[in-house]
Amino acid sequence: MRNSTIKKWFWVHRWTSLICTIFILILCLTGLPLIFGEEIDNYLDPDPPQEVLPANTPMTNVDNLIKESLVKNPGLIPTFAYFDDDEPQITVHMATSWKQFYTPHSDSTRWMKYDSRTGKLIRESEALGKKKIDFITLMLDIHRGLFMGLGGELFLGLMGLLFVVAILSGFALYGPFMKKLPFGIVRAKRSPRLKWLDLHNLLGIATGIWLIVVGFTGFFNELSTPLFGIFQMTDVQKMLAPYKGLPPVANTELSSQQKAYDTVAAALPNMQITSLVFPGSPYGSSQHYLIWAKGNTPLTSRLFNPTLVDARNGKLTSVVKMPWYLRSLEVSRPLHFGDYGGTPLKILWSLFDIAAIIVLCSGVYLWFKRKKTYESYFNNTEEQQSAETQPAATV
Amino acid sequence: MFKKVWLIPCLLALASVFGLLAALLGTGIWHVLSWIALTLPLAVIVWKVKQQG
Repeated sequence: MRNSTIKKWFWVHRWTSLICTIFILILCLTGLPLIFGEEIDNYLDPDPPQEVLPANTPMTNVDNLIKESLVKNPGLIPTFAYFDDDEPQITVHMATSWKQFYTPHSDSTRWMKYDSRTGKLIRESEALGKKKIDFITLMLDIHRGLFMGLGGELFLGLMGLLFVVAILSGFALYGPFMKKLPFGIVRAKRSPRLKWLDLHNLLGIATGIWLIVVGFTGFFNELSTPLFGIFQMTDVQKMLAPYKGLPPVANTELSSQQKAYDTVAAALPNMQITSLVFPGSPYGSSQHYLIWAKGNTPLTSRLFNPTLVDARNGKLTSVVKMPWYLRSLEVSRPLHFGDYGGTPLKILWSLFDIAAIIVLCSGVYLWFKRKKTYESYFNNTEEQQSAETQPAATV
Repeated sequence: MFKKVWLIPCLLALASVFGLLAALLGTGIWHVLSWIALTLPLAVIVWKVKQQG
């Protein structure tokens, strides 16, 4: 690589890193507890233990759970029911309105969690106005968008993209820098700067693929809101065209949710239903139940298929085909969260995360000591190049 | 020259790609292989730091 090319990469590496480092550092620090989010949540605020019943105990009628929830929460509308795939439980979610439901940090939602076999209430959320923000939710809010909604999400997405460019430029610089050095050398005794430079290079190159994958999937995940918006405005609108102009379904007109569940379960025999969204969601239909189901192989269990069921007559309207960009988004999620290979994978994820923190911090340290670093870098490569060609030594 | 610099990084990259995908596409033994593959880059870091630290 020519010296002028190296300098260009150096410029790219320095500036992309400098701009994104503080934000990526926040993401690494908040992401660390999120890797174990479920475990921490269960530890800090455990559910009462599940009743032990035979494995084949059938599911209770979900209509009754929804009715009970609404009777106990007058004034609220049902938003969705969640069918847990780990525990035999169903959670009914409600809100003061759909608009409030999609307003971040508006204390306008409640949920009631039931045993899906006995229909007994297990737990319910705090009353409206009494919601406490728990640790993991706080971490997630910071991690997703720095409390700034869509603007924050897109901003962090951009930072993720800069991070990926920083890593790639780091790879470009690694080659010429390591030309004369054995792999993984850590010159600890010569100076702290040299030690941290070597550690920055070793940790960066060894964890490079993980950094790229988690950085890129993070960037991609921050595009969730606009991508679902595009889907809603194009494919979903087309599908709902015949229903255009119909008045929203009144609560009294709603057909049985259990029947809608059974209809979809029969139509998708190899899939597992995970949630039922009530009509009126801005990301669904004003006329339909939107029922999400997932596959049962390692990969397809990450792919969610929405089905529309007419909320008035309970008939299946259509099994929605997800566009490629939402499919890719779904596959990119586990690769960002690290939640797809048991506890050992989560532990590895957190170790990689710590390595990333060290790479970031050592990068900042090297920037503070930049003059020397910069000179030594070119001394290193110029020595090598003088043997090969004429170096272009214009600093 | 190229080989000397890039051989180990490329092997670690391959192990990482394999490890990341194995757990995503398979279960059982593939999870175990994934854990082993993803341990390699971290183990190399620890080994190198210990060797010269």
